[in-house]
Amino acid sequence: MVRRVLSLASGRISVVILAAIALLAIFGPLLAPQDPLATSSDTLAGVSGSHWLGTDYLGRDVFSRLLDGSRASVVGALEVALMALVVGAIPGILSVYLGRVFEWVTLRLADTLIALPFLLFAVAVTALLGNGITQAMFVTGALVSPLFYRVARAATLAVARSQYVEAALISGASLGWVIRRHVWVKVLPPIAVALAQTLGTGFIIVSSLSFLGIGVQPPAPTWGGLLASDLGYLSYQPWAPFAPALLIMATVWASNLLADAIRDVSGEAGRALFADRKTRQPVGGAV
Amino acid sequence: MRSHRTARHRLAAAGFAVLFAATLTACGSSGASTGSTGPAALKWASSYFPTHWDPVVSGSGAQFRELALVYASLTRTDETGKAVPDLAASWEYNTAGDQVTFHLRPGLKFSDGEPVDAAAVKAAIERAKTQKNSALFGDLTSIKEVTATGLDVVVALSQVDHQIPQLLGQRVLQVASPKAAADPAKLDQNPIGAGPFTITQLVPGTKAVLKKNPDYWDAANIHIDTVELVSAPDSSTVVSGLQTGVYNFADIVPAQADAAKKAGLDVFVQPGFNAANISLNVNKAPFDNPKVVDAVRHAVNREEFVDKLSFGYGEATDQPFPEGYIAYDKQSKDKYPYDPEKARRLLAEAGVKAGDIKLDLVIPDAQPAAEIVQSQLAAVGITLNIKVDKNWSKPFFAKQLTLSLYGTTGRDSAVQTLTAHFGPNGPLNLSSPYEPEGFEAAVKKVRETPLEAPGYPEVLRAATRAGLESRALVFTYAAPNLIAKSKTISALPKNPAHIDWTGVTISGR
Repeated sequence: MVRRVLSLASGRISVVILAAIALLAIFGPLLAPQDPLATSSDTLAGVSGSHWLGTDYLGRDVFSRLLDGSRASVVGALEVALMALVVGAIPGILSVYLGRVFEWVTLRLADTLIALPFLLFAVAVTALLGNGITQAMFVTGALVSPLFYRVARAATLAVARSQYVEAALISGASLGWVIRRHVWVKVLPPIAVALAQTLGTGFIIVSSLSFLGIGVQPPAPTWGGLLASDLGYLSYQPWAPFAPALLIMATVWASNLLADAIRDVSGEAGRALFADRKTRQPVGGAV
Repeated sequence: MRSHRTARHRLAAAGFAVLFAATLTACGSSGASTGSTGPAALKWASSYFPTHWDPVVSGSGAQFRELALVYASLTRTDETGKAVPDLAASWEYNTAGDQVTFHLRPGLKFSDGEPVDAAAVKAAIERAKTQKNSALFGDLTSIKEVTATGLDVVVALSQVDHQIPQLLGQRVLQVASPKAAADPAKLDQNPIGAGPFTITQLVPGTKAVLKKNPDYWDAANIHIDTVELVSAPDSSTVVSGLQTGVYNFADIVPAQADAAKKAGLDVFVQPGFNAANISLNVNKAPFDNPKVVDAVRHAVNREEFVDKLSFGYGEATDQPFPEGYIAYDKQSKDKYPYDPEKARRLLAEAGVKAGDIKLDLVIPDAQPAAEIVQSQLAAVGITLNIKVDKNWSKPFFAKQLTLSLYGTTGRDSAVQTLTAHFGPNGPLNLSSPYEPEGFEAAVKKVRETPLEAPGYPEVLRAATRAGLESRALVFTYAAPNLIAKSKTISALPKNPAHIDWTGVTISGR
């Protein structure tokens, strides 16, 4: 799958961007040239040698805050995606096998979660449970989970009625073995597409929530939080929102690009394309 | 034949002139004295759109300014901050100073047709004292009994108190129609008063549309026909709204002042008594240790608040009002100067090591002031976790928090300002029922001193001095009431802390 994705230009571009973002998340806080929380009297300063992206309203170095905020932004998005994957995909697969009651309950639950406006619900839940990154990501992960539920369920339904699966069950294979051996392999590609998509969505969610002051609390920086605070001082630093906005946009775009690439290579057409390229390569080399 | 035609022309010209004059007269009577066409419409974007429209529930905070569009009060304040007639044309104290009689203006009525009489005022005072969700009962402790006779309201006091006319103004006694107030829940979203405007539409929390009240006692000096009051969106968009004419009046944050000026708007500071503070709860650890409180007092660098938050419009203050206010006590100035070294020493003397104290700083919304407090206390070894709680007001006013931030817009009565902050039941005293020693006696002395007595300022400052012994509050800086308006709106009366529309005109409509 990885080789197939990397064979596409879109796959390579997205992986490069996401890898860069991942490195930023891992090493960003270490690379920050100044203490991202240290205030100074030099407030709302312009771009200079000592402050590559200027300073904010409390005199903190914006470039350092951007680097330091990468981790919280990326981890937040990952938390949303993984939470959604666990909460959505597993019940999605099991809903095919665990009988009508389980199926009905999980379907209705998924319908309910889809109907909830996520920002409003996230605000309400954080008001109830306390305003923190864990609470916010838990809520948004749960709200995004129906996507995984539906994808996993649809893929499982297609496989569950296959003759080889039925044969395996008749031969006495356990349900767990069948899911691990046959179902999971078929369900994985669409889930990978959903996961890449959800990463992008997760970034938007984390950025939106921190823009609204939910999740990561000040003075800890996040890209969304930096964007929100910049807007209050636009008349002094009209260029300030560009850097965090650009990072958010690039990450979301790369995630969506990756999802497209995975979808392209995991479908019948994608596989055919890959096979065609493989067979044509020696011919091309001979010419 | 020719003379007939000339006569007809003259007749037509005369008719046109009469019609034109009648039209001009009609325009003039609509309330706009500027001679321009169309209604004088105020479009006000407010960052503190009232949550409650029942003045008893809304309390004395900044929202009283919007409620004053609808409600008149017993007294109001002039440009010096002194109580002057509003619904009451005059008043006098008895010789002992424990009874004051207000004489109401005759022939006034509320917008629902009910008469504005002594019985209505009595009902308003009693409701403020007794209604379960009243935010004002703590301010009316001096009032023992109210007697209503026609247009005379006799207020009997439990102690000598010369602050009453000052107190019963727009912040504490906006008078609602007693008929409407019989259902306080309904009044809360359907306000009925005898103020300069009446509500025609109210979308809770979002928008209120008002029109001029022709029955208002000073209607001749109200030149605004309609008011559209809206809850301001994000502060960064207010200036654009003013620029494009969506609003023509808005309160703005200091960071927007420069943009507003560049946009050609009229930016001005309405005088006020604003002061921000750090509220500590001395009933909870670690602030039950006076040395820790002193450490916080010395850890605060007020100039940093001014430099980073006020954009040249604010000033540092260590008292619940700005310097220059009558109650400001110069003797208490800089009693706890910024000295982080001393703060660390005090913490060490209290047996606290760096990192030992970890607290939640609970605030209603993200604000740079909280980050400044966090960094200043971190510098002396106190770790704060900023916690934004949208439901902040409930634990704050229930005195459940350990540490918070608050900003007052002041009160018309200096005594009310002091008791609100330092009194045992003061709403802004996070450490209730704690009060500093000697404060009660000092306040009593102020109440007993007539405002025009030569010794009044010194007695008042002595009470401030006593109040500032409180360990529950650390004042930081005085933020301005910064307003941006279209130049078509004339200057507002410089009534401190109030927004008074008397005499204000809107031209070039």
